[in-house]
Amino acid sequence: MLIKQNNKKGGEKVISVYWFIILFLVAAAIVYMVGAFYGKPYDVRQIEADLLASKVAKCISYAGYLNEEILKSEFTENFLESCGITFEGAEERYSLKLNLTNISSGERIFETEKGNINLKFSCGLKGENIPLCLERSLYVIDKNNNRYRADILSIVGRA
Amino acid sequence: MKMLKKGKRGDTDILIQNVIFIVLNIAYGFILLFFVFTKTGDAAVLEEKYSKQIALLIDAAEPGMSIHLNMEDALDIAEKKNIPTNEIVKITGNIVTVKLENGRGHSYTFFNDAEATANFDTLTKKRYYFVISEK
Repeated sequence: MLIKQNNKKGGEKVISVYWFIILFLVAAAIVYMVGAFYGKPYDVRQIEADLLASKVAKCISYAGYLNEEILKSEFTENFLESCGITFEGAEERYSLKLNLTNISSGERIFETEKGNINLKFSCGLKGENIPLCLERSLYVIDKNNNRYRADILSIVGRA
Repeated sequence: MKMLKKGKRGDTDILIQNVIFIVLNIAYGFILLFFVFTKTGDAAVLEEKYSKQIALLIDAAEPGMSIHLNMEDALDIAEKKNIPTNEIVKITGNIVTVKLENGRGHSYTFFNDAEATANFDTLTKKRYYFVISEK
């Protein structure tokens, strides 16, 4: 489609409406993409869940052996404090579950769950606002060569 | 884009039209680039980015560590908005707050049960350093 205009000098200037449509579409696409990318919060839950699981793993295993402190009852009671973790001010956003099993005897040494225990029900569901669940297992031995398996479930919800 | 020639002066007109067309296209491109760069360096975006980055650094740190973080772009924005350097990064309990413009800033929590302090590096004037110690 062409629009012809006569100016005072008598020359014709031609403006293509299609060209303006293309310019508008390009601008709209860029604005939409920038808005979509920067409009959403940065999602760092995967890294947080990883760090949380790593912190628990370091707490359970020390220098390649099971941390003997873990077998004491005070440890289970103050599991978060013992591992240098605090959910203060964001308890609804984090959840942590730890199972420790003696593989040699099959006995479950302890099972503990801290933080927002309701978050685990969202594990397996799909969606942007669904809490992120991360499962990690590790094997450790004590100084008597008894083998243990620790199952860690760390869950981080949206801020 | 079609161009119509007319008369002896038509050649000059076509040249001017082309020049104007190219100049306008370049201006259009610059406006779009300016928009993208403005958005990427937006204070709110940087506040969120740095608050989360600092929280994650503290989560990954061990007591006794000192972490240096280059925040030059954030400091430039804060300077333009007249935010003093001692108010840009604040750590209260286990909450990191980054404020680059007037308002509440952006806060994020960390789960590491350690004492963390934020300090402005007065030597480089580009960085903050975080000292992690036992509670």
